[in-house]
Amino acid sequence: MLELSLRKNLHTAEGNVTLDIELEAETGQFLTLFGRSGVGKTTCLRCIAGLTEPDHGRIAVGGEIWFDRTKGIDIPPQKRRVGFVFQDYALFPNLSVRENLRIALGDPKDERYLDELLELMDIRELERRLPTTLSGGQQQRVALARALARRPRLLLLDEPLSALDGETRQRLQNEILRIQRHFRMTTLMVSHDLGEVYRLSDRVIVIEGGRTVARGRPAEVFSNRRISGKFQFTGEVLAVEPNDVVFTLSILIGNRVVQVIATAQEMQDIQVGDTVMLVSKAFNPLVMKVDRNPGRLSPSRS
Amino acid sequence: MNRLPGIIVAVASEGDISLVDVAVGENTLTAMLVETAESAPYLEAGNAVSVLFKETEVSLGKDLSGRLSLRNRLQGEIADIRKGKLLAEVTLDCGGHRLVSVITRRAAERLELAVGDRVEALVKANEVMLGERADGL
Repeated sequence: MLELSLRKNLHTAEGNVTLDIELEAETGQFLTLFGRSGVGKTTCLRCIAGLTEPDHGRIAVGGEIWFDRTKGIDIPPQKRRVGFVFQDYALFPNLSVRENLRIALGDPKDERYLDELLELMDIRELERRLPTTLSGGQQQRVALARALARRPRLLLLDEPLSALDGETRQRLQNEILRIQRHFRMTTLMVSHDLGEVYRLSDRVIVIEGGRTVARGRPAEVFSNRRISGKFQFTGEVLAVEPNDVVFTLSILIGNRVVQVIATAQEMQDIQVGDTVMLVSKAFNPLVMKVDRNPGRLSPSRS
Repeated sequence: MNRLPGIIVAVASEGDISLVDVAVGENTLTAMLVETAESAPYLEAGNAVSVLFKETEVSLGKDLSGRLSLRNRLQGEIADIRKGKLLAEVTLDCGGHRLVSVITRRAAERLELAVGDRVEALVKANEVMLGERADGL
């Protein structure tokens, strides 16, 4: 559905870097460009949207060629049907939520689709508000709805949640996934958050110094071997406490801290700040129903 | 974690659940997985895998007699014992492979474990994971 190969010389603070990326995505796939630092990931999205011109390469979406250097094809940005969500929302501050969405509509009279989007993103009640009166999470919902208003063929997300706090971030991750599945929208996201990459992506492409260093399913790319354990989470080691003959590790997973026990041997190559994978088996967890009415204690506990 | 190299000798599946028998040296260990050869193509007799389980899931037995439901029994010799206040870390040599068990200090003392003792390491099949081993470990 998406075929891309591009090269571009970038002048950065760290000197000249050549961005050299090839990727393909099938319809409905969620693809993430991941990299801890350095440039290239955002440039790649900008090239697809037509905001930045590659030096060489070809970009085709759904059989339509948007850019081809050798054939001299370069479709202008407004004719490329992409929905772009930026880290800083980039909403018009002087327009209401509804108007922000309306000006992005392919057909300005398509009120039904506009209403559908407001419902879908749960921002119906905010439609008359100005963006500046909204929280970060609400603004990003509006930005996401606006990106979808063009009925894009491709959704581009540039670190969409990195400005938000942990809890809002996790809630919006679920929203993004729900919307992406609802529209079967081919999506390309830039992220440097490992947990986010795991939660959202079908496939991940790891980029360092402008080049692809790994690609595949997140579990394949980020673990050295495939493992049969069904419970797999990645997290960051926050603290290591020696206790008796073992160690207690505090590990941040999403916005929760969990504690696990590790042996001296396991601790030989693990330090505070490391990213680790926690693996357990599907047989281990106890399953308990959560009372939806948190004010009421379940009888067994009273 | 304990990591032992093995070769898959048999896979029996029912629905999504499989019992995978893995030869580790002279012993055969069984892993119970929510996975089948369909979902994980490496689950095939003859393939090299790593057998993985947590130290705290390993029980130790000495002079065992009678019948046990546990099928994963590895003979070994105690190479080292490190005692804390509550826990004890017992390192075994199982046919050249290092295996660690973390049990309570009480249990270690009740069994009168000492370096050089012959013991059996016991692990439930549902605590055993398998890892693909492409690199020969």
